[in-house]
Amino acid sequence: MSIRSFLLLLALVLGAAALPGPTLAAGEGATAGQVPGESLGNTSDADFWRAVREGQPQTISIPDREAAVLIQSEGENWRNIRNGPISTIGGWLLVGVIILVSLYFAIRGRIRITGGRSGKRIQRFTQMQRVGHWFVASMFILLGSSGLVLLYGRYGLPYLIGKDGFATLASASLQAHNLFGPLFIASIVVLFFTFVKGNWLSRDDIGWIAKLGGFFGGHASSRFYNFGEKNWFWMSMSLGLILSVSGIILDFPALLEDRYAQQLAHIGHAASALVFISVGLGHIYLGVFGVEGAVEGMTTGTVDANWAKDHHDLWYEEVMADEAAKAGGE
Amino acid sequence: MSFLEFTEGPLWYVALVVFSVGVAWNIIGILAMRVRGDSAVPRKSPVAGGIKAIFLHMAPHGGFFSRTAYHVIVGYLFHLGLFALLLFGSFHVAFIKEWTGLSWTPLPRWGFIIASEVAFAGLILMWIRRWTDPITRQISDRDDHIGTGLTMLAMLTGCFALGEASDGLRAVHMLSVELLMLYFPFSRLMHAFTFIFSRYFMGAAYGKRGYVP
Repeated sequence: MSIRSFLLLLALVLGAAALPGPTLAAGEGATAGQVPGESLGNTSDADFWRAVREGQPQTISIPDREAAVLIQSEGENWRNIRNGPISTIGGWLLVGVIILVSLYFAIRGRIRITGGRSGKRIQRFTQMQRVGHWFVASMFILLGSSGLVLLYGRYGLPYLIGKDGFATLASASLQAHNLFGPLFIASIVVLFFTFVKGNWLSRDDIGWIAKLGGFFGGHASSRFYNFGEKNWFWMSMSLGLILSVSGIILDFPALLEDRYAQQLAHIGHAASALVFISVGLGHIYLGVFGVEGAVEGMTTGTVDANWAKDHHDLWYEEVMADEAAKAGGE
Repeated sequence: MSFLEFTEGPLWYVALVVFSVGVAWNIIGILAMRVRGDSAVPRKSPVAGGIKAIFLHMAPHGGFFSRTAYHVIVGYLFHLGLFALLLFGSFHVAFIKEWTGLSWTPLPRWGFIIASEVAFAGLILMWIRRWTDPITRQISDRDDHIGTGLTMLAMLTGCFALGEASDGLRAVHMLSVELLMLYFPFSRLMHAFTFIFSRYFMGAAYGKRGYVP
């Protein structure tokens, strides 16, 4: 190479280096539909990613419908609903019920048996009904507590027990939740058949509703179950059905092989569980703390006659009439 | 030494020794008991009566079925479920192999889950009966509830550890099992071994008179 040729080549190289070229800042990501790269020739990257996010199945060579979708965008919606409205509204519902019940207790106090206990016991629930009730109650505690850890644990527990501690607790809760779920389904079926009798709505319920169940004073008549108890029964059955069906879908994902159905099932499962737990807290309050003598019906199977007169006077009269008829027949 | 190493090391040995010696002590004590001699001429074989009673009382019979159906069915649910998960759970088979070298085909995971659910259902239903049946409630004491509670705890911690996600859960399960083993020989949980002696004794006594109820 001559000196002249060498100088010409050097000038070309230096000149080329001085020209502005295409640059890409490090770490630049996709914003507002624009993505870096433009490496697909005629198809822009923005169109490409938009098509991916539409979640339409593409052509694949394996018989797996799910694998044909590169990104299932509904998953982001599901995550936002779960961590947004479901968690927030559900959380306020739980807190609201606790505040409401505490306020009611502070104002009204424990509802005592009028005239005190009579000493006369009346059979209210059979052994089978008590077993069915407490079995569902134990499932309610196991599934409710483990479910709440799974839904809300991440917001507080890592600060209390550390991230590793929470991961351990969450794993334990998940296993317990999955294992006890099928037992809940069986127990809710048993509960339906043991308690359905007497829980159909009747004309007597109108009077009970008009007097607001006697919760704010006065006496509201009712038969074996009052309108509030009937509501709780049918609510338990309906929510139990939703929880059971959605729980089966979540426990056995291969049944449907549809991710969207699982996301819907998960939202339905969480929402109905939060309503169930919230109303359940009210039921526990009234049964155990709020109304004197109520829990005895479920522990011993019998209630005091004066309690029956206070809360289920029409049923009490039926029992007395039966007793009188039996005594007369002897 | 980590918590897991402690529960799978020193504490496991202590629990195993207390359990084995305690159970052996009870059984030897029963076998060595002096029974007052019965000089009456036997009408039938007491040995045959004893053996008959062991098998006869495995199922309800006579006029008691309606009264005993609940705890017979629930009792079988719990005990069969417990035996299945204890002896055929893959984790337990692996544990037994680690300690004894013996192993056998474990249940598949779904089988283990079903066995666990059956055992849990049985145990919870039995415990509910203890609290809600007026007669059973009267004859149940602290020992019954502690024994049931410890069994429940061991099963529950085992359920928690199903994901095999942490050493901590395994250690807690080991600890709860060891508590159960330490309590076992001093409680009515011993019925797991002694029921056969009591049935035989009763069957032999009646068998000698010619009738086993």
